[in-house]
Amino acid sequence: MSGAKENVEPASLDPAAKAELDRAFEELYRDHLKDVYSYAYYRVGNQHDAEDLTEQAFLQAYRHFDRARRESDGRPLRPWLIRIAHNLALNYYRDRSRRPQTPLDSADPIPARHGTEAIAEGREELRQVMEKLDCLGDDRRDALIMRFALGMDNREIARALGRSDGATKVLIHRAIKQLEEEMSDE
Amino acid sequence: MSEASERLTGSTWDVERLLGDALRPIEPPERLSGRFEDTLSAVTQAAAEELSSWAEELSESELRSLRDPRNWVRPVVAASAGGVATGALVLLEIRRRSRHQARGGLRSLAGRVRP
Repeated sequence: MSGAKENVEPASLDPAAKAELDRAFEELYRDHLKDVYSYAYYRVGNQHDAEDLTEQAFLQAYRHFDRARRESDGRPLRPWLIRIAHNLALNYYRDRSRRPQTPLDSADPIPARHGTEAIAEGREELRQVMEKLDCLGDDRRDALIMRFALGMDNREIARALGRSDGATKVLIHRAIKQLEEEMSDE
Repeated sequence: MSEASERLTGSTWDVERLLGDALRPIEPPERLSGRFEDTLSAVTQAAAEELSSWAEELSESELRSLRDPRNWVRPVVAASAGGVATGALVLLEIRRRSRHQARGGLRSLAGRVRP
């Protein structure tokens, strides 16, 4: 991030307001770091780029935090944060002009949540579903990542993707249906 | 019945359950918070220094001129341009790093879930 001498909005506030804003931002960071990182990780597929994307997402969030808080009307800011990460991820892929295909050897394995035996039994299915997920359109894949990795509800996903609630419900339904069909074709 | 075989109901996959298992929340590495704090502190410090040195360089007449709202458009445009330039720097940094590492998306994650 060398040379990033940017227009950081909160720096222009008076000290007391800035301290309050920083405290609120710290809380936002603490509450949602895992969400943003999980989204970034599943989106870009490796730890290194996920860290970069997470850091950039929070830097952007910090820059616009004051305004976002004022305009949020008390609504949760998680969809806004994820939307920032979503847009950064789109730029990331646009910049590379293609979706990455080469496996990583330096990234850590997906952390285990269940017992080893259960994972061994389900691994082939998990591998398949991850492959099929990668073949979905951007919005369908992202909506499923938001739903299942982050536990976001339809309304939150709608706000993160800039869609209506109804369109998001249909998007998720179709994404799951498409995965089911493709899994059945295997 | 094993967990894996339960995932099949007739000919239909229980995709929602598979997704729930596959897309687990990922704990961020501990170093990330420290790294973010360092970057944020460097960025805000740099911005404060820029503002401060900019103000010191202004003459009294320039300061008077700045108080005139008719002259506010230029600084606003300059500040916006600064923000855009910063965004570009940030993207360049990501691009530079990504060039060094050809890395995979979900497909590579899938590849690492070995049977």
